[in-house]
Amino acid sequence: MQRTGLFIERAGFLQRLNPLTKVTGALLLIGATFLLPAPLTGAALLGGALLPLALASLVARRFLDILLKTLLPVLISLALVQGLFFPTADPMTIPVGPLLFRRAGLQFALDTGSRLLVVAGAPLLLFQTTHPGMLVQALIQSGMPRSIGYILLVALQLIPAISERAVGVAEAQRARGLETEGNVVQRIRGVLPLVSPLIVGALVEAEERAMAIEARAFNAPGPKTWVRDIPDPPAERLARIVMLAALGAIVAGRVVMVFD
Amino acid sequence: MTTSTTSQRGELSSTALALIPIAIAINVALGHLVQSVLKLPIYLDSIGTVLVGVLLGPLAGAITGLLANVIWGLTLAPSALPFAAVAAVIGLIAGYARQYGAIRSWWKMALAGVITGVVAAAVSAPIATYVFGGVTGAGTDVLVAMFQNLGASVLGASFMQGAVSDPLDKTITYLIVWAIISALPKRLLARFGIAAQ
Repeated sequence: MQRTGLFIERAGFLQRLNPLTKVTGALLLIGATFLLPAPLTGAALLGGALLPLALASLVARRFLDILLKTLLPVLISLALVQGLFFPTADPMTIPVGPLLFRRAGLQFALDTGSRLLVVAGAPLLLFQTTHPGMLVQALIQSGMPRSIGYILLVALQLIPAISERAVGVAEAQRARGLETEGNVVQRIRGVLPLVSPLIVGALVEAEERAMAIEARAFNAPGPKTWVRDIPDPPAERLARIVMLAALGAIVAGRVVMVFD
Repeated sequence: MTTSTTSQRGELSSTALALIPIAIAINVALGHLVQSVLKLPIYLDSIGTVLVGVLLGPLAGAITGLLANVIWGLTLAPSALPFAAVAAVIGLIAGYARQYGAIRSWWKMALAGVITGVVAAAVSAPIATYVFGGVTGAGTDVLVAMFQNLGASVLGASFMQGAVSDPLDKTITYLIVWAIISALPKRLLARFGIAAQ
């Protein structure tokens, strides 16, 4: 099986759901964190929704691992930059060793950080529990253009291959004496010899791929059939309607608050 | 000049369908390579987007940028996802640069790069501010801290950081794309509707 990104093959709770239900759920969580008061909403959604779901889907360890690995630098930077330099009229400061943190800045960092964890966590969990092929098929069957689905799937498959080729080109050019160390000017001059073989090769490949697409009548009109069937029980349809209604209610609530 | 982006029914042509996924993979692979192997203070993560925009026009360019960030955000770096709108705008401008004939000379491409950079900075500042609180965990955060310390708001500091980094990054990107396209065989260029010079 080819590397398909984040997907982990387990028989947990979320893996059994229809991809559309999970997409709707992720949208609801993201909408809620931005529209309801931070940091409480973020903490509640992370602890009350994302973590239990990750546990029930048997991916909790990998979920936390990737979430923290990707967000930790942002969170640290957020606390330092905004804690120390946040523009505020509030004179309250909190001394930590030799540093004076601004209270309003730390509050801002906490609010943003709690939101960020949900905004990154919801799609992460979606992709850890959904095979990309199933997701794209479900999206196409509910109205996404087929060409967009094709592009998404092929790009997902190509990224590991092209990354490998990029490293190969870098090594080959270094063997021919290309400087990849040294000062900035030297390194900038190294960009073109790395990039051009990659792109020229890609353009040639694109031409071959275009002919293959034409030969298989991808753009032919008329209905298409599917090899796999994705189950969509009535309970899940109902759940999607409820989640969309909840999202609508949150948006409406915020609009009313603004005009009140 | 006719664009070969769409067929008669408004669907993406087979050439666009073939090139866009490869361009997306190039964005991601090169963005990573440049930052980890060459360790340059620029991103170079939109070469594929600009290439498609210049070869196939605004629609294909915008789709490339948008989907590249969606894929990058969902697989490797969640922080790329909210900037998908910026990437789409970059592809759109690259497409218009093609229509203005920017590909014919290197200085027009450089100019298109500067314009793209300024627009990208303007579009990304609100996203950086409201989603990330002004920082992204990269080296450019130092600039944000500096501008805030000089009295700028979070939004203002985010825009100034972008206005410093983006035009340089996009100018280099456009010049790389220009250098590559100029070196391509005429037969290949004809497939993308670009007449030989």
